[in-house]
Amino acid sequence: MPAPAKGPRLGGGPAHERLMLNNLAAALFEHKRITTTVTKAKRLRPVAERLITFAKRGDLASRRRVQAAISARTNTNKGIIHELFTEIAPQLAERNGGYTRITKIGNRKGDNAPMAVIELVLEPVSPKQAVVREAEKAAAKAAPAEAPAEAEETPAAGAPAEETQAEAPAEEAAAEEKAEKADDAK
Amino acid sequence: MAVPKRKMSRSNTRARRSQWKASVPTLVKTVENGRVTYSLPHQAKVVTDSAGTELFLEYKGRKVADV
Repeated sequence: MPAPAKGPRLGGGPAHERLMLNNLAAALFEHKRITTTVTKAKRLRPVAERLITFAKRGDLASRRRVQAAISARTNTNKGIIHELFTEIAPQLAERNGGYTRITKIGNRKGDNAPMAVIELVLEPVSPKQAVVREAEKAAAKAAPAEAPAEAEETPAAGAPAEETQAEAPAEEAAAEEKAEKADDAK
Repeated sequence: MAVPKRKMSRSNTRARRSQWKASVPTLVKTVENGRVTYSLPHQAKVVTDSAGTELFLEYKGRKVADV
C-alpha cells in the first residue's frame, strides 16, 4: 500500500490531484514513457504501480477498479485499459513491484522546474534467469540422452567467469541442441 | 490599490537585495577516457557525437529521452 503523500495536494485540491494522477497514469500506460515534473512523477509512481497490480490480478473486479480510476466518466480510455491488462500486465508478470523507473533530466526551460522521465520497466526481470529457464526447458525436452563429454568440449566464449554456475546448464543444453541439429543434418 | 506610505531607504533596499545568494551545486567527479568531467549527480547526461552535436539523454547506459 503506498504511503500517503506529505505536503499540499497537486493542483487545486484532492479531487484535482486524483484526476491529474489518474490522467498521468493513463498517459503512462498509453505511451509507456512520459516526461513530467519530478514532483508529479514521484506522486504518480504509487498510483500507477497500484493500477498495474490490479492489472496483473486480471479479474473482472480489478478491471472495474482500474476502469473507475482511468476512464470513469468517459469511455475514451477503455482501449488503454485493454492494453494494460492484455499487453503490459503479462510483461510485468515476473516482476514483484518496481514497475516504473524515474530518471531526472534536468530543469525545464521557462520555469526552471525539475523534470523527469517516468517509464514502465518492460525489460525481463533478469536476462540470466530467463536464459536459465529456457535452457532447463530445452534440457527437459532433450532428455538425458547425448554425451555430456561432447558438450563440455565447446568453449565458453563470451561468458564471464561470474556466471559459471548459472550458465553451465544453459550451455550444456545449447550444446546438446547443437549436437542434435548436427546429427539431424547428417 | 495599496500604495507604500514611506520611501524605502537605500539601506533597507540593499539589505534585502544582499539576501539573494547563489549556491554552488554539488557535482560528482568522474574520469571518462582519461578526462575528468564534473556532472550533476542522479541526472541524465547529454550524449554528444565527435562533432559536439547533442544526440540524446543517457543515464546508466540507458537512453532516457531525446534532447
